[in-house]
Amino acid sequence: MKILIYYLVSFAGQIDLKGNKFMWSEIRNLIEEVDYGTPPREGKLVNLTIDGVNVSVPEKSSIMFAAAAAGKPIPKLCATDTLEAFGSCRVCLVEIEGKYGYPASCTTPVAEGLVVRTTTEKLDQIRRGVLELYLSDFPPGEIADGWSEFHETLKKEGVSRHRYGQGKNHFDELLDTSNPYFLFDPSKCIVCSRCVRACSEIQGTFALSIAGRGFDSVVNAGQDENFLESECVSCGACVQACPSHALVEKSLFEGEYKHV
Amino acid sequence: MSNPRKPEQSVTTTCAYCGVGCGFKAETISGKIVRMTPWKEGKANHGHSCVKGRFAFDYYNHADRVRKPLIRSSISDEWREVTWDEAFNYAASELKRIQLKYGKKSVGAVSSSRCTNEEIFLTQKFARAVLGNNNIDNCARICHSPTQFGLTSTVGWGAASQHFDSILQADVIVVVGANPTEGHPVFGSLMKRRIREGAKLIVIDPRKTETVTSAHCKADIHLAIRPGTNVAILDSIAHVVVKEELYNQQFIDQRCEVDEFHNWCALVSAERYAPEVIGPQCGVDPELIYAAARLYASGPNSAIYYGLGVTEHSQGSTGVMCLGNLALSCGMLGREGVGVNPLRGQGNVQGGSCLGSWPHVFSGYRFVSDKPTRDSFEHEWGVPLDPEPGLRLPNMFDAALAGTFKAMYIMGEDPVQSDPNQNHVIEAFKNMECVILHDLFLNETSKYAHIFLPGSSSLEKDGTFTNAERRVSRVRKVVEPIAGYQDWQIVLKLMNKMGYAVAYDNAGEVLDEIARLSPAYRGMSFDLIDKVGSVQWPCDENAPHGTEVLHREKFPRANGLGTFMLTEYVPTREKTSDRYPMLLTTGRILSQYNVGTQTRRTANQIWHPEDVLEINVEDATQRSISDGDFVTIKSKFGETELRAKISTRVNPGIVYTTFHHAKSKANAVTSDLSDWATNCPEYKVTAVDVIPKNITNLIYESIASHEKIDQLGN
Repeated sequence: MKILIYYLVSFAGQIDLKGNKFMWSEIRNLIEEVDYGTPPREGKLVNLTIDGVNVSVPEKSSIMFAAAAAGKPIPKLCATDTLEAFGSCRVCLVEIEGKYGYPASCTTPVAEGLVVRTTTEKLDQIRRGVLELYLSDFPPGEIADGWSEFHETLKKEGVSRHRYGQGKNHFDELLDTSNPYFLFDPSKCIVCSRCVRACSEIQGTFALSIAGRGFDSVVNAGQDENFLESECVSCGACVQACPSHALVEKSLFEGEYKHV
Repeated sequence: MSNPRKPEQSVTTTCAYCGVGCGFKAETISGKIVRMTPWKEGKANHGHSCVKGRFAFDYYNHADRVRKPLIRSSISDEWREVTWDEAFNYAASELKRIQLKYGKKSVGAVSSSRCTNEEIFLTQKFARAVLGNNNIDNCARICHSPTQFGLTSTVGWGAASQHFDSILQADVIVVVGANPTEGHPVFGSLMKRRIREGAKLIVIDPRKTETVTSAHCKADIHLAIRPGTNVAILDSIAHVVVKEELYNQQFIDQRCEVDEFHNWCALVSAERYAPEVIGPQCGVDPELIYAAARLYASGPNSAIYYGLGVTEHSQGSTGVMCLGNLALSCGMLGREGVGVNPLRGQGNVQGGSCLGSWPHVFSGYRFVSDKPTRDSFEHEWGVPLDPEPGLRLPNMFDAALAGTFKAMYIMGEDPVQSDPNQNHVIEAFKNMECVILHDLFLNETSKYAHIFLPGSSSLEKDGTFTNAERRVSRVRKVVEPIAGYQDWQIVLKLMNKMGYAVAYDNAGEVLDEIARLSPAYRGMSFDLIDKVGSVQWPCDENAPHGTEVLHREKFPRANGLGTFMLTEYVPTREKTSDRYPMLLTTGRILSQYNVGTQTRRTANQIWHPEDVLEINVEDATQRSISDGDFVTIKSKFGETELRAKISTRVNPGIVYTTFHHAKSKANAVTSDLSDWATNCPEYKVTAVDVIPKNITNLIYESIASHEKIDQLGN
């Protein structure tokens, strides 16, 4: 229903009944129940096909956005419609007719006449492979009963196990429980940078960053400080943005936080 | 296990802390709130939040909440728990007894910006229709009453001209006496977003606030004025606008009273307002005044946001008028990206202002002395109403001291802590025979109360809040009221016990009555808000879904034109002297809210366990004060003790503190001067001296307070 309403607004050409121009759709056209994956845009409508469904979205929208609007949401981890696209998780890959490879739908803008496929045998294979890699470094006892975006994505894609043995991992990383309201559990962090981007783009405090590279990448509040000592103003934008409950409200737990 | 519990239910409601009025989803497990998450469709916050609304909700279930009504016949007695019935009966009999003995006008009521619109409206109805007088005031008296007066006189409505999102169209942002990143954090983030996109920032504030300098937010021009010189600096900016002909002639010709414009030009172009003259008086480089004027006038879109640093002065109303004049002269009103916007402090100050909790006006700012307006209320309420304006809050205290004012019903306020000249207020309360306090917690004022009615937090009731951008949003009941009744039901029961028969089945019916009696709210209802999310007033047949930007075609004044007020600078009588050589000014911090009754009962304490006195290193060295020393702050009104924090945020000669903790008694020091027009107290300027204190016995206190923080951290 909400998607329909969005359409009506879009088709009206971003002009309301009184002739006022709609502006700042990035924040004003957000919908609670829908995550378009990338921020809504405004402008001329562009037509494309997603899994056989015709859809029109404002130019500069992402393919991920168009897919959500077409009712064909693409699995994703590092993307959410309150933040600009980042393209790091590699879960949202798609095929575009006439183009090579498997571009990330969050960072690929729509264009007139594109024919996009979000699920093919090859795509599913790649996507599951990527999810398995994430899973291989996630606390194994806490996969089954979780309900974060990460957990939900795994369920939807039918990934509950991975093919790898226990290798190097982050299971025993130290928790940061310094903030009175939320904690950071690096073992559940998938380093998608949503928290870092929320801190800069939404809150504008720039307290968080990713320190280290590759396997050593870790969310860092301030300069090797804990959350409480850092510049963090505890606005909660990072917790809101986190897809894997690595940053999570303490109030959702009873008793001591420890891994199964 | 380290997977979190999943909330079972979620209710969309509105945060009760600051004037931003963020939309939140309150999530519960087994009827207990476990999380507040920001609502993506909230038009004030677009899914963002701050540490108060997001996390500091636990106060609602704090052990200190009063769960049963309390009464006592004398303030020296212990409180006695009683049934609701007993409490209402006692309150009604006392009010009747006092009115019989001392006259109808010997009693009054005070409402608060923490109450919903419906409660505020019912409280003024209680005063006018049940107590039979207009002795009704609200806490906007001590913060934004000058906004009401100053903006009404120039542009017609005492409210923000814009919606928050309008700032995303502004090219020049002027922040005067406000600190959005601390006081209105979610709006502060929006402002910073725009600044990162390239908007210019002018800040007029004695203190180098977080808005002046923080990560990716630097003021292009900071006019670090001496406290109390707002009007001087704004007149001087106007001087440059007029002298250099930077004003918008077309806008003035079409939209303003041209004669008044010329009168204003004559005033501000006088040599006494030249930057070279005013600069030294304000402690500001004259070149910066020129630069600020040129930048503001050049726009193309310049927007003014101001806070209590403008209003809480002896010339508070004049300061607001200066802002109105400036915006009119440069044509910075009536479209997106411009405007004059008060940043209201409390969740519902705008509602408190709109809904008639004033001694002289009904809802919609219509005078009690005006017969047709009074007729409409008499018709709806079925009783004759007093045509004489009632007492303002400070006048109620004065009358109490004079022995003519004997009883007060206070809803959600703590005047002993929040009002100026604390000792005076305490003496006034001691002189009353019946003080009925309706609140969540016992507080400083409850020490002088005879009846305590335990209220409901915003999480336990239905109603609406009007935020700083005139946006009316739903407050929805998330959990059952801890003490049994929603606040509007308590006022209603009190009305009934006093013999006034009226019934409402739900808070929505009160909003319906507000809509019938208040033009700006005419189109509002719970149904409409449920349908469209939130509605900015005015909302009527011309604007069925509300109005985002005011003054697009005309100003809501009789002739539809904006006008210029004469704003002669009159320095405050509060001056430094040999005895009190420094100026104290006050403000807020992010983690605490107002007098702190709520946030001090949450883990937010960890960030701000006590108020501190910011002092410049130069002044500190002169007085042999080191960082962390306890100091005595003395003014001619009183004294208090605070820990000193050596800071570069304040200039020499100026000290700064917050007022979140009762034990700091910041208002024991503040002056009893107030705005010439509205009695809004001059909190922002007090001449003081700062004296180092022997620190030995305080090391103990410091350890104690740290232990407390540790406990909270766990």
